[in-house]
Amino acid sequence: MSVDRFERALLLPALVVFVPLLLGPIAVLLAESLKPYEGGRIGGTDGAGLTFTNYTDIWNPSYAHYFSDTFRIGLIVAVAALLLGYPIAHFVVRIAAPRLSKAILIGLIAMLFLSMIVRIYAITMTYGPLGPLAEVSWLFGIDPRERVHTEMMVIFGLLHAVLPLVALTLIGTVQTLNPRLEEAAISLGAPHWKAFFAITLMLSVPGILSAGIIGYAFCISNLVVPMIMGKGFVVFVSNLIYFRFSEVSNFPSGAAISIIMLLVSLGLFYGAMRFVANLWPPVKPRSR
Amino acid sequence: MHSISRRHFGRNALATAGVALATPLFVRPASAADRLMVVQWGAPWIDVSKEIAEKYNQTHNTQIAWELHSGGSAAVVAKIKARWPNTQYNLLSVWDPVFRDMIAEDWLLPVDESIVTNLSAIPDAFIQKNAAGQSMTVPLSTAGAFWGYREDVLPDGFDSIEDLLRPEFKGQLAVPYPINLSGLFVVSCAIQRGGNEFDVEPGWEFLKELASSGSIGRICTNNSEFINAMASGQYGVGFWNNGGWFSASKNFPVTIKNRMPDNKGFLYNEGLCVLKGSPEETAWEFANYFADSRNNELYNMNLGSGPTHPEAKANPAIASWYYSPEELEDHAYIPDYAHLGRVKNEWNQRWEQEIVPLIR
Repeated sequence: MSVDRFERALLLPALVVFVPLLLGPIAVLLAESLKPYEGGRIGGTDGAGLTFTNYTDIWNPSYAHYFSDTFRIGLIVAVAALLLGYPIAHFVVRIAAPRLSKAILIGLIAMLFLSMIVRIYAITMTYGPLGPLAEVSWLFGIDPRERVHTEMMVIFGLLHAVLPLVALTLIGTVQTLNPRLEEAAISLGAPHWKAFFAITLMLSVPGILSAGIIGYAFCISNLVVPMIMGKGFVVFVSNLIYFRFSEVSNFPSGAAISIIMLLVSLGLFYGAMRFVANLWPPVKPRSR
Repeated sequence: MHSISRRHFGRNALATAGVALATPLFVRPASAADRLMVVQWGAPWIDVSKEIAEKYNQTHNTQIAWELHSGGSAAVVAKIKARWPNTQYNLLSVWDPVFRDMIAEDWLLPVDESIVTNLSAIPDAFIQKNAAGQSMTVPLSTAGAFWGYREDVLPDGFDSIEDLLRPEFKGQLAVPYPINLSGLFVVSCAIQRGGNEFDVEPGWEFLKELASSGSIGRICTNNSEFINAMASGQYGVGFWNNGGWFSASKNFPVTIKNRMPDNKGFLYNEGLCVLKGSPEETAWEFANYFADSRNNELYNMNLGSGPTHPEAKANPAIASWYYSPEELEDHAYIPDYAHLGRVKNEWNQRWEQEIVPLIR
């Protein structure tokens, strides 16, 4: 068996487990989304034919707000995480002394192990009316009772959750870059900042895109942060899905929203990757 | 090298077989204890339930495993539906609307009254029945959902929920997500404007006014969230169940507004039910233990709810929260929970489409 075939064969066990566990539930969800729902019952009505009502119900202008809030806030948090995470990653890999690098790495990993609920309530209490940073929002002219403040809290909560993830991913990216490329540019007369932006940052773009996608996916699929910090008026699509499954027992509608969210998310990610690929086409290896 | 003769081997084999056959005569295998998986709400319900279960286990060899509701008790029905009839749950502690949902799905066992002897002491009106008239629940608490406020945050309080439209109440309200508490919040708004759970349009109009006025500061989705919201001091007014108010009242002075001239306090029952496929005798014995007068008193003393057993005493701290028989007609309201179950999907959509856009 050639090396290539052997490496492909190694994927088989993972595919055998992963494909049914991933595609199976999505197929069940799709089937459920086409069932009619009868008020007072639990789940869709079996044997009552198929319907697209669960999809057409979402075709209401008010639901556009929930989707736009989800993707907009997710984008804000992902970009903020990249802007904060890349300097952290660069500092850890290129500048910090070994001990400090390790301490920062341990801190980032420790944050991932810390319960999300603990973090969310810590932020809520810190910026709440009795917290030490209660006056921060007033400094920006934001009334804590306004929606803007609530949205700010959701953004803080998501950023707190996703920043360690993004920073750790970018550390891996920066570590693979050869520092001598930047040194070579500087030795040829380029200023430090130009060498950084033209070489290090440009070479980091695929890694930045990966980290951004991971962060964005985490944000738009998050349930807990908008549920606790959103106060019920910053509502993500995940919350709509949760309420239908857990409180209303309208599984078909929850399934329909899930399928819509899946398709929109896949379309967005594919579009983003195509956009970046067009700007930074992959370099093909030279044939020998 | 030591060799074993056939005689030696045969002798040893016979001796071993003899010991193996005789062992059951002398060594009793450990008796397999029955196991129950019980679903209960979080603190304070689970704390007092474990206390009672510990006493139960002093005389009964039953393994009790607990699982907590996540959010409202309706969330567990989704888990049951996904695996029915192979559910791992045996007893559920839920309330009237969820009992009705599960009775409609035919998931529950009728109460075995030869085992649940304490059921005969509980008023019949508290017990949920199926279409055949069989008792399907063991009620443990009479509970309620009420308006109330923190006296230290709002010393002047309010006399009517119409007052909550005033500017001084901006951002002060902590209210339930409408499907929590089975839509009682919407029904309360409807009653305020002359409607009820069947004529609910006046309630939606009042809700739109509340939302537009900015009075709604937080929409809570579970008990913990409401308790934390009231504890934060950021919200002075709330509409929630007795359990949440009782927890809040332990730390802050609270006034329950359940005798307003133009609104009502809502009553319902919480209790236990047994799912089909459970070890019946063990499950009903456990439920019966909870329903006896001593345990019923202990259970409700910690929850701020009213006991269902007539010989159990109510917590004096919440005596004013419930009604004397003479007050029931004027101040208490027991909606048609079956109807609320049928309309909750519609109300959920209306909330998402008409109310949240006004609050955001």
